Amino acid sequence: MRVANRFGLRDMGFDRDRLLVIVFLLPLIGFFAILWLVPMVYTVWSSFFSDPLVNPVFVGFDNYIAIIVDDQFLYFLWNSVLFAVSTTVLSLVVGLGFALVVNRAVFGGASLRTLMIFPYLLPTVVVVFLWRFLLDQNLGLVNRLLLEFGLIDRPIEFFGTVALAMPSIVTASVWKWGSFAFFIVLANLQAIPDEYYERAMVQGASQWQQFRDITFPHLRGAILLILLVRGIWMFNKFDVIWLTTRGGPASVTTTLPIRVYDYAIRLGEFGMGTALASIMFVLLAVGGVVYFVGLNPESGVTK
Amino acid sequence: MFERLVGGPGGLVPNAVQQRLSAVALYAIGALVLLFVLTPIYLMVVVALQSPQTLFSGGELTLIPPTLTLNNFVTLVEQTSTVSYFLNSVIITVSSVFLSTTLAVVSGYSLTRFDISAKTLVARAVLFSYMVSPIVLAIPLYVIFFRLGLLNQYVSAILAVTAISAPFSIWLMWQYFQNIPIAYEESAWARGASRWRAVRDVVLPLARPGYISVAIFSFAVAWNDYTMVKVVLSDESLYPLTVGSELIFQEVFIGWGEQMALLFIISLPPFLVAAFLQNYLMQGFNLGHGE
Repeated sequence: MRVANRFGLRDMGFDRDRLLVIVFLLPLIGFFAILWLVPMVYTVWSSFFSDPLVNPVFVGFDNYIAIIVDDQFLYFLWNSVLFAVSTTVLSLVVGLGFALVVNRAVFGGASLRTLMIFPYLLPTVVVVFLWRFLLDQNLGLVNRLLLEFGLIDRPIEFFGTVALAMPSIVTASVWKWGSFAFFIVLANLQAIPDEYYERAMVQGASQWQQFRDITFPHLRGAILLILLVRGIWMFNKFDVIWLTTRGGPASVTTTLPIRVYDYAIRLGEFGMGTALASIMFVLLAVGGVVYFVGLNPESGVTK
Repeated sequence: MFERLVGGPGGLVPNAVQQRLSAVALYAIGALVLLFVLTPIYLMVVVALQSPQTLFSGGELTLIPPTLTLNNFVTLVEQTSTVSYFLNSVIITVSSVFLSTTLAVVSGYSLTRFDISAKTLVARAVLFSYMVSPIVLAIPLYVIFFRLGLLNQYVSAILAVTAISAPFSIWLMWQYFQNIPIAYEESAWARGASRWRAVRDVVLPLARPGYISVAIFSFAVAWNDYTMVKVVLSDESLYPLTVGSELIFQEVFIGWGEQMALLFIISLPPFLVAAFLQNYLMQGFNLGHGE
C-alpha cells in the first residue's frame, strides 16, 4: 500500500500535501543541516587551511600530507585498530557466553538480565574511575590479590606501564560494553522457537550439533552486527581512553580520536585536527558501506 | 575428528555427558561474569559508605564494613560543587531528552506515513550519523559555538548532546511507527476525526512504549556524555557531573571514599532506570540494536 492515500490525503489538493510533508520533515532537515552538515562541511573546509581560526591560509593537502608522513601516524592507526578489535571481540565473547547462560537459566534469569543493565547505563566516567580504583597501585584490589597469591613481587601501576596500559583500558571497556553484545545476543536467542530444539532432540541430535545447526545460524546476523557496529564505535572512542591515560604512557594508548583532540584542542593546530577528523570520516565511510551492503540495516524501514 | 567426538548417535562422547559438560561450562561462565560485573559495583558502594578510619584500618581495604556512614556525601555536598554540577546534569539531560524525543516522534511519524522517495537515503544518513565519532563532531561544533558566543551557555551543551543522541532516537521511533498499522488511523478518519485528532488520540497512545524507550536511550546518552560537553563548554560553572567530577577529584581533601560517593551519585539515576524501566530498554535493543 503506497502512502499518498495511506495518510488520507485523497481529498486534498496536491500543494497542501506537499506543504504538509515539508512542515513535518522540517525538524529532521533542520537538525541534520545545522548539527551535522554544517560541522562536517566546516571540518573539511578547515582541513585545507593552516590556522583556519585566526588567519586562514590555503595550503591544499599539506595538512593531510603532514599527518600521513608523520612517523607515528601508522602507529596511532594501529593502536585504534588494536583497541577496537580487542574490545569488540572480548565483549562478544563475554556477552555471548553470558547470554547463553541467562537464556538457559531456570531461575534468576530476569535478575541476571537486570544486573547486566548496570554496566551498560553507568556513565563512562564512573566505569573509568571504578577501574582506576580497582587497579590502583597502592590500594587496588587487583594488586592486593596478585600479591597475596605471590604472582607479583611489588604492586603494578597498570595504567602507567607501557605493556599493561592498553590491556587495562580494554578490560574496563569490556566491562562496560560487553553488556551491549549480551543484550543483542540474548534477544536473538529468545527468538529461536523451542520446537527446533525439541525436534532436533527427537531426531537424536547431540548438544553440540544443536548448537552448531540451530543456535549458531540464528546468531550469525547478531554476531556480524556486533562485530561491525561495536567495532566502529570502539574505533571512535575518545572518553574511556582520555579519562584513563590521556593517550600515554609514551603514547601506547594514543588512538586517532585522542590524536584529533591533541591536534585541535591541546596543540591548537586546528587545520591538522580537522584533516585527521576528515581522514577518520573516510575510514568510517568504508565501514558504513560494508555495513549497508553486508547487513542491509535500512530494509526494516523502507520496505 | 571433532564431529566423531561430539556428533549425534554413535559419537564418542555420549549426549548425556555433553549435556552435563555444557551445563558445567555455562555455570562456570556465569559465575565468572557475575564476579567480573559485580566486584566494581560492590566496591563502589562499600567504599562510598565507609569513613576513612574504617576504610583502610590495618593497612588494607576493608571489604566488609563494620559501620556505615554518609560522611563522604556530606563532604561532597558541603565542600564541593557537586550539587550545582548535579543540577547542570539535570538541566542538560532533561532538555536534550525532550528535544531528541520530540524530534524522533515527529520525524519517525512523517517518515513512515508519507510517501518520500528518498527513504533509503534518509535511513543511511541516520545510521551513518550515529556511527560518527563524537570527537569528530565536537571539534567543529566547538568552533561554531565559539563564533556564536555560546561556549558559556547551556544551549551549546544541550545541542551538542542532542546531536549524538537524536540519530538513534529517530531510528528507533521510525522502526516503532513502522509496526503500528495504519488501519487504526484510517478507522478514526472514517469516523470523522481530523488528522491531528487521529494522531493525538490514536497514534500517540499506541506509540507510547516507543517514545518511552527513545527517551530512556537519549537519557543514557545525555547523562553519560563526557566528550561533547568537555569540548563545547568552557564555563566550569555549567559543567555536568561527568566533566565536573574530574575537577572535584583534583581537590586535595578528596579521598577514595569521596570519589566513590561521587560515582555513586552519578550512578543513581541510571540505577533507577535499570530498576524500574528496563522493559523499555529491552524493547530498544530488540528494535534498534541499542547504542
